[in-house]
Amino acid sequence: MPAVLTVDPRSGVPIYLQVVEQIKRSVALGILASGEQLPTVKQLALELTVNPNTVARAYRELERDGVIETAVGRGSFVRRDGDVGSPRVAAEIASDALDVALREARSVGLNADRVRALFETALTRWFTDAAKDA
Amino acid sequence: MNYIEWLRVRNCLRTTAIVLVVFVALAGILRISLSRYMSPQQWAQHIGAEPGTTKTQITLPDGTKRTILDNPNERTHIVIDDRGRAGTHITLTEPSSHEHKNAENVQIGGIHVNESRHGDLSTTTIDTHGAVPMLYFMAIADVVALIIATMLAAPFAREIDGHLEIAFTKPVSRVRYALGVLAADVAGIWVACALAVIACYICELFFGTYRVDFSGINSRAILMGLVMPAAWYALLCAATTWFSRAYGAVLGFAWPVAIVVGVLAVVQASTPLGLMVHDVGWVLSRLDPLTYVKFAGPDANDAMAYMGADFARRFGIEILLFVVYAGLALVRWERVEA
Amino acid sequence: MSTITISHLRKDYGGVAAVDDLTLEVPDSTVFGLLGPNGAGKTTTFKCMLGLARATAGDVRYDGQALRPESFERIAYVPERSTLYDNFTVNEHIEMTRRAFRAFEPARARTLLEQFGVDSRKRVRALSKGMKTAVMVALAFSRQAEMLVLDEPTGGLDPVNQRHVLSLMISEAAKGHSIIFSSHQIGQVERAAERIAILQHGRLILEGLVDDLKADRKIVEGIAPVGGFSLDGITSDSRVARCDRTERVVRLLVIDGAPEFAQRLAQAGATGIRVLDMNLEDIFLYAVSPADATTAVVAQELAP
Repeated sequence: MPAVLTVDPRSGVPIYLQVVEQIKRSVALGILASGEQLPTVKQLALELTVNPNTVARAYRELERDGVIETAVGRGSFVRRDGDVGSPRVAAEIASDALDVALREARSVGLNADRVRALFETALTRWFTDAAKDA
Repeated sequence: MNYIEWLRVRNCLRTTAIVLVVFVALAGILRISLSRYMSPQQWAQHIGAEPGTTKTQITLPDGTKRTILDNPNERTHIVIDDRGRAGTHITLTEPSSHEHKNAENVQIGGIHVNESRHGDLSTTTIDTHGAVPMLYFMAIADVVALIIATMLAAPFAREIDGHLEIAFTKPVSRVRYALGVLAADVAGIWVACALAVIACYICELFFGTYRVDFSGINSRAILMGLVMPAAWYALLCAATTWFSRAYGAVLGFAWPVAIVVGVLAVVQASTPLGLMVHDVGWVLSRLDPLTYVKFAGPDANDAMAYMGADFARRFGIEILLFVVYAGLALVRWERVEA
Repeated sequence: MSTITISHLRKDYGGVAAVDDLTLEVPDSTVFGLLGPNGAGKTTTFKCMLGLARATAGDVRYDGQALRPESFERIAYVPERSTLYDNFTVNEHIEMTRRAFRAFEPARARTLLEQFGVDSRKRVRALSKGMKTAVMVALAFSRQAEMLVLDEPTGGLDPVNQRHVLSLMISEAAKGHSIIFSSHQIGQVERAAERIAILQHGRLILEGLVDDLKADRKIVEGIAPVGGFSLDGITSDSRVARCDRTERVVRLLVIDGAPEFAQRLAQAGATGIRVLDMNLEDIFLYAVSPADATTAVVAQELAP
């Protein structure tokens, strides 16, 4: 598995949540292919230098969310249809990020119109450029 | 047996062995340098060279080679019986001089000298075939053993000095751990004894004697000689375990205090203060394992009888002291906190 | 060796309680971090747990049973300072451990020592503090112990070796062994520990799963309007663990319900409201630093 997972234990976000989000992100971006095997709990715990139960909890969440499936004795795999949900997952990720951005904007005292203007500028910057590159 | 303690003991014994080897080597050198004076043959030749001496050499039926030196002018008559491996017997008759005593019976190691006077003649017999009493070996070995005992003493104080976290987190009870330590140290003391005895024996061999006398009090001397240093060790063990923070001082003061107490116990005093000090010293000396050992020099009359007296009682007390002191150390060890 | 149960543990030294009424449980297969300022009683707790010191009151049970000498076949301990024998070599310590414990693997110990960069022919007195810690760690982790008690296991080690010790701890955890350890390196505790407890002055002031503590504890920050405002009803809520105020900025440390408090601050007229995550270091610092000074400020502000 490519080492795209990093966790920041000093962040206030629980480590298991960080792992869940990063794996979801990897699946959504296609870094983790459908059907691909994930490292074992022990392997990932050692790789990230975090408590194995934390990794186990993350895997349980991912399984509950339908992103991975675990076969006893064989390991954990990205669900064949795991990327079916990836647009949904991607949307979730984007939506969470937007929430944070808007909350920040409101907390510094911007009003809705100002925020909308900023959003349009950013949209142009990110998505028009991407269209040019594609 | 406790491994770490055994390593300490082993290092101690290594030092002991080296020191003993040095002593034996010195004895060897001494033997070589004195060889001119020690050989009866050479001595006989020296006397035989005096004018007027007739020398006769015969072989007795049992194989003994007899040399007779006779000088009628000097009224000196010497008979040298060389019994080979059984030693040499020399009888010397000469006119008495102020140096000769009326009667003397001396045994130094394996050499037995007897002097007697009749009329104006003195007869001296020298036997070099006597077996060395084991007692003398044990006496020297015990000096070594006491030194080793003092070096090894304070094993628990050393553990208390920063190693309890290792000692107390092993899957053996504290008491069993402690017994292992005691076993290693007592074994070390006894091995040191044995090494010293061997060294003494080698030195004796240099000087022509190879037989050792185990009879009578000699075998009892072995028992006493093994238990007494163990009791001394146990005493130091108990003292240093209870006063573990200053165990170096305890060990350092042990010898001087024992000597002072011993002196006070025997010194006679007439003043009230002196009597009180004597009594205190006497009581304290009952606690000292060395008090119960009796040793007399070879010149003393009835030396053997003196040393054998009251053995069972003294030996019993020695064992009791060992057990009590070891027990005191164990009690403290069991309760100490890291 | 599964669970450790500490009940109402108390240890007095000369009339002063180094540990006072401590109750906590280390569940099966858990890595448990014990945090606290210097002198908080962490080392004393370990000593009482291992029978090195006699508890004044309370007890410690392993799987419901009292500690016995045989228990040490399955418990490994790394003390805070070196307790190795200075005059003996590391190899001799390996031999000593081999003779003392049935399940000890000398080959593994040697491998670990090599990884730590320790020359096992050297005498202990020739080793640096970090190397001595490495030796104790190597010996403890080569024993297949089901329960590891580690008091500052990374003391004196360079960052590479510290990470190595951490990896060893995680390996043991993956095997299902339990670890209780104390460390001043909060980052390490955050990585390795599943549960933590914070001690201060011998008392337990906080305990729980790291993930839960982080998820629930937030700082809700707001900027008070110029005229000041009333925090009544907010600060009296039992979920507000602390309230810090400067002239304009209010920070509430809440142990649950952060969004609700954000809303209530907004209703009270605050602006610039933020909900901040707390990492373990934040949680620790807020738990142990005194709150008295700030409450006085709040009281003053509220008076008309």
